Amino acid sequence: MLGILIGIPLMALLAVLQSTVLSHVRLLDGRPDAVLIAVVSWSVARQADEAMAWGFIGGAFLDLFSGVPFGSTSIALVAVAYLISFPEGRFWESHVVMPLGVMLVASTVFHVLGIATLLLIGRPMDLNGSLTRVLLPSTFMNLVLILPALQLAYGLSHRLFPPEVKI
Amino acid sequence: MSRASSRTLIASALIVLALSLLALNAAGYIQPAENLVLRPLSAFQSWLATRYAAVRDFIASPSDVTTLQQRNAELEAEVARLQQQVIGLQEQQAEASILAALLKYAREQPESSYLATKVIGRDVSPFLRSIWIGSGSDQGLSRGMPVATDRGLVGRVIEVRASVSRVQLITDPEAAVNVRFQQSRADGVLAAQLNGELWVDLIDQNAEISQGELLLTSGLGGGFPDDIPIGRVLSIRRRDYELFQQAVIQPTVDFDNLDIVLVITNFLPVGASDGAQ
Repeated sequence: MLGILIGIPLMALLAVLQSTVLSHVRLLDGRPDAVLIAVVSWSVARQADEAMAWGFIGGAFLDLFSGVPFGSTSIALVAVAYLISFPEGRFWESHVVMPLGVMLVASTVFHVLGIATLLLIGRPMDLNGSLTRVLLPSTFMNLVLILPALQLAYGLSHRLFPPEVKI
Repeated sequence: MSRASSRTLIASALIVLALSLLALNAAGYIQPAENLVLRPLSAFQSWLATRYAAVRDFIASPSDVTTLQQRNAELEAEVARLQQQVIGLQEQQAEASILAALLKYAREQPESSYLATKVIGRDVSPFLRSIWIGSGSDQGLSRGMPVATDRGLVGRVIEVRASVSRVQLITDPEAAVNVRFQQSRADGVLAAQLNGELWVDLIDQNAEISQGELLLTSGLGGGFPDDIPIGRVLSIRRRDYELFQQAVIQPTVDFDNLDIVLVITNFLPVGASDGAQ
């Protein structure tokens, strides 16, 4: 429960940062997705259940600062956190490349669901341009940021929920 | 219950909850709650946008950094205080010069009344081209009001909350503006392409448009006031077998560096929710 409660102010902060600061950090039309990175990091470092709650909360905050239908980003982030939860145990910690792999999948799923939502509401979309100008650059930036974000998530997780030690 | 099925249950519950939010929002029931949450968040967003602009301006002016470093060598503690002051003053100066330019523009257009407001953020979706401004219904803004700077047309207000509003930029593919070329007086419709380019379509084949010609709003359709600059003609595409010619436009406004904008508050658009205005 504590993990979910911490997610509320953190997701609000990251959504505001996404709108004010990270929207200026651009590679073509792509930007790093702070909330997505946080959800993926928490899912790998801690629990998928909490990460799904973070995804729901973070998506709602992001939709407050966007013209996309309210709730649609929550669905995308919950779906991403759920997908990551499939491999059981410490699968994502088995190799240093694993977090990059999971970020690649998460970023692709997140943006594909975002494009699908906009297509569903009848917005004209350039699929080729969305892939080359948004999805690929965003994914690249997310890949760069996932490793430090994961270290932060491990640090936060160990500080808040120290592992039990038998004496 | 196994852990996997418990997770599936939680994910399903959250997705059903999100779908309910989607439905409630479509019916308009969410807006009061959104306003309640957005009010403190937008105050923080505005505060953060100001600080971010200050830091960005500070980094972008290396000569001032050198000056501050020299002072730092003379009196370290004193300069630390001065440095903070300089950052604040630089930001104020930048804001003052923008406001002075906007005021000059407003004085030149006495028929319109303006509300100067800060740009506090951008749409978090990379697929939508819109910005958030720090004024809303509390300041008298309403949907459809045109937004400009001293350099030209920015877009129009498409979503109004209590303390913030969302402005659809003219570079958004869903925005359409009726336009007129200044010299040739030819009419057309400005529409952004999906790749972000601005095109004017539906220009009469007989119109003699020249490169560099200024493009203005025509006021036709009642969506925007007339004679607001938009950009200059970059290139023209004319094919004999087509009914109309097209022109590619270089906008006069730098959409990546919008700090303060003017909302034209006394202009009431006709059918604000329509496509081409």
